[in-house]
Amino acid sequence: MTVAFGFLAGMVLVSAFGVVVSRNVVHSALFMSGSFLGVAGFFVMLNAPALAAFQVLIYVGAVTVVILFGIMFTQRPQARRYRTIINRQFWAGLLVAVGVGAFLSYVLAVEEWRSTAPGNGPRAVAQLGRDMLGVSPGAEIFALLFQVVSVLLLVAIIAAIVVSRRKVGTGVDRGVEE
Amino acid sequence: MQTVLNLLEAEPIRLFLSFGVILFLVLNLAGILTFAERKVAAYIQLRYGPNRVGPRGFLQPAADVVKLFTKENVSPQRSDLWIFLGAPIAMFLPAAAVWLVVPFAPRSVVADLNVGIVFFIALTSIGALGLIMAGYGSRSTFSLLGAMRGAAQMISYEVPLILSLLGVIMLAGSLSFQDVVNAQAGGFWNWYFLPQLPMFITFYIAGVAEARRVPFDLPEGESEIVGGFMVEYSGMTWGLIQASEFASMALVSAITATLFLGGWQPPFPFLDLGNFNWLWFAIKTALIIFTFQWIRWSLPRLRMDQLMDFGWKVLVPVCLIWLFVTAGAMLAFPSVF
Repeated sequence: MTVAFGFLAGMVLVSAFGVVVSRNVVHSALFMSGSFLGVAGFFVMLNAPALAAFQVLIYVGAVTVVILFGIMFTQRPQARRYRTIINRQFWAGLLVAVGVGAFLSYVLAVEEWRSTAPGNGPRAVAQLGRDMLGVSPGAEIFALLFQVVSVLLLVAIIAAIVVSRRKVGTGVDRGVEE
Repeated sequence: MQTVLNLLEAEPIRLFLSFGVILFLVLNLAGILTFAERKVAAYIQLRYGPNRVGPRGFLQPAADVVKLFTKENVSPQRSDLWIFLGAPIAMFLPAAAVWLVVPFAPRSVVADLNVGIVFFIALTSIGALGLIMAGYGSRSTFSLLGAMRGAAQMISYEVPLILSLLGVIMLAGSLSFQDVVNAQAGGFWNWYFLPQLPMFITFYIAGVAEARRVPFDLPEGESEIVGGFMVEYSGMTWGLIQASEFASMALVSAITATLFLGGWQPPFPFLDLGNFNWLWFAIKTALIIFTFQWIRWSLPRLRMDQLMDFGWKVLVPVCLIWLFVTAGAMLAFPSVF
């Protein structure tokens, strides 16, 4: 168990470091998928296979793929090298990093860490679903949040259509003689 | 003897052993399927196909594998070597790992996850990552074009693929493959392809697209972009990509058989074979694979805009409508379901 944790932690940290120091955007994106996979491994270790599967589905299968897709469409991914902005915002970045580090150290020191047994807490998929839809008592607020997120996604989709829509009458060029 | 068996059934050892067996099976399956593919193609086109190596050409896959292993593994000089070499692995491993949750027979499933269907969807979605890695790492225009087509196609067809599963999940009330199969017991009229016919057809089509088979083989498109994302691969890296393609084709067939055609359930109750019910599973999977090959040698390739139109304007609305129909029927006639 400790070996597995060490392996996963190493994977997450090394990948996360790779995302930052990589000179190539595509390499960064691929390192990021490694980091996401490591987090999915943590969920498996915590007896939450459903969360692990969704982590892989959403972050590795969707987010990373869409990022890579976007890079390929908008940039020239085969250009030799990208200049990352590591150097330009050095002091601001250092400030944020130190702040986050200090906060995490504080949490690590103050929180009383306990280990939990499998099945302790709302880990089952069914329970998660009921909480999400506000069916179970005491969790009604989640239904509202869930709906708000849905509306947000709908707005994002409609906005994307509006932004990318062509003017009426210009027609769509599909390489076909009209 | 018993102690050895107990040792083998202890948890991490059992999982690793099972995964080894599955890898062995999947690699062999790829070999057998290449042979089947060529034979089916040959008979559809009224020729003999491979018939020189072994009786009726049965040893052709072995000869192919020997050839691939002895072939030099060329990589382009300016390729991104790690990504180039990692891509076949990133494509093969997910396609092989999904077999962990496929129920072969009443008690033969490696990991009966209670979220097996989500596991299947999650690992299928990683396939696009391997494809992009292959296209980018090769540093060739054809590869990049193929990868971009492939990514667009797989992102688009994942939506109907997932939506078409929802009807089955609602009817079975579970995300576990074993539960879905058990819910279809008692004869072929209980299989989900009847109440879920539009979903079944959608899943089948989206599955063909996810496996990148003709008529959805735009990422390869050998007549226009000469092999697409795998144009730079040779030797065993090419072989691994090929193996992952065949593995995912067999996987889509197996999942279709499991979710819509009753899995290992016999078509009539009196044909129950007990522990040998895996034969039913094998027959159904093989028949679906055969229809894939039949389609491949009968239909031309879609154009990119036709592909997108079909996915978003036909398959997704069909799924949504049938989802509402299913939900409405379950609410209106709770006694039936």
